[in-house]
Amino acid sequence: MFLAVPTPSESSGVSLDAALVQRLLQRDVRAFEQLYDRHSRIVYGLVLRILQQASTAEEVVQDIFLQLWRNAAQYDGSRGPFLPWLLTLARNRALDHLRLKSERQRRREEQSEQLPPIVVSAPDFEAKLDDKRRAARVRELMSALQPQQKRAIELAYFEGLSHSEIAARLEEPLGTVKSWIRNGLLKLKEGLQTTA
Amino acid sequence: MSSSDTTRDPFLKLIEAFALGALDADERASVEAHLAAGCSECAQALDQARWLVSQLAHLAPEAQPSDILRGRLLKTVRAEAAANSAPARSSQQRIPFWMWGAVAAVVLFALYNLREAQSLHEAHRQMQAALDEQVELQKKSAQELALARREALILTDPKSIKIPMPAGKAGLPELHATWHAAFGIVIYGEKLPVPTGNRTLQLWLIPKTAGAKAIPSVNIRPESDGKFHLLIQEPPDKQSDTKLLAITEEPEGGSQQPTTTPIWVGSVAGK
Repeated sequence: MFLAVPTPSESSGVSLDAALVQRLLQRDVRAFEQLYDRHSRIVYGLVLRILQQASTAEEVVQDIFLQLWRNAAQYDGSRGPFLPWLLTLARNRALDHLRLKSERQRRREEQSEQLPPIVVSAPDFEAKLDDKRRAARVRELMSALQPQQKRAIELAYFEGLSHSEIAARLEEPLGTVKSWIRNGLLKLKEGLQTTA
Repeated sequence: MSSSDTTRDPFLKLIEAFALGALDADERASVEAHLAAGCSECAQALDQARWLVSQLAHLAPEAQPSDILRGRLLKTVRAEAAANSAPARSSQQRIPFWMWGAVAAVVLFALYNLREAQSLHEAHRQMQAALDEQVELQKKSAQELALARREALILTDPKSIKIPMPAGKAGLPELHATWHAAFGIVIYGEKLPVPTGNRTLQLWLIPKTAGAKAIPSVNIRPESDGKFHLLIQEPPDKQSDTKLLAITEEPEGGSQQPTTTPIWVGSVAGK
């Protein structure tokens, strides 16, 4: 089978990622190296924030990137950008570890060498900001929320807690927690949408 | 109006929290069942909600993993890449193009490659067939799981109506029906006598409208051990327009109108 090798455009991080993933299909080690160097800091930062332990975080990051190398075909560039897909995958893996999923179960999943089918579609306004500016904007928008509202979203995202668990942790009514999370996420979405 | 039309908006409101993983088990199960039922609007909203949730990763400070990790990963990746390309290189080196016997060698090599290609093609075909079989199995499992979740939702959702269906004949057990306006009806019972011959049991929906004809629904025979279990995903009439559920014994294949007196009857409107 002939596979075309697209020339990555340095001006577009999204198309560059897609091109690098295409090259992984041809076992291009240099492409893997570039993808790792581009994204390992944010992936490791996320996994470390969830697991709070450097050695375990590195194990999870290693697992994620090796699965990517071995199963690059499971990323479908036509369905959405690469980085949000990778971050979704990384968060799920880290939360699995956090929930003390049994070692045997984890090993079975790792041996299957299958990445879970996750579709992450970017909205139209994604192209308004590059990753760096969007990261700053996300932090800015989240800081503008009430501290407890921000805390509720962080507990869900970084600790994998449910509405009820967050309500118990924060000693707040369940309905309040649900509203905080929904309204907070909608504010984040609107804020990113209206960013010029 | 289909069930998805009546339930779409409430589910859309839950999609962000679902993508975040913050829903409690009951709400999560109901969203999963809704998505499994094929709501494309919610599925699309979920794909975009995952993008929004992924942006929260920017709240974590970026951190540099150790050089040891990078080295270990690249070593593994290079070894795997080399292992993949090695057979191709060794094949090329076998071609003795500088000798008089080059033509013969090339022909032999081509024949060898052809045979290998056929063998590989066959192996690939077999692997593809095995893969297709696995995909079919996974699809079937996913469908069964979706049905089980739907049934669990019908049985546990507080919005469902419980409809006892006592038997009109002595010595027969009571059946238990549960009807959720959006997700369907579950009916179960045990120790039912199996109808004689090819006859079957058929469910009917009796409308509230005076004089309206009974609406036929599915027909089924109990298991040989007397167990009766029925899931109707799309009842032929609305819950709000139905007065009674009734089950009669009918000829094989069911009837358009009841031909016997109902054995089991349960009141929907009376609840």
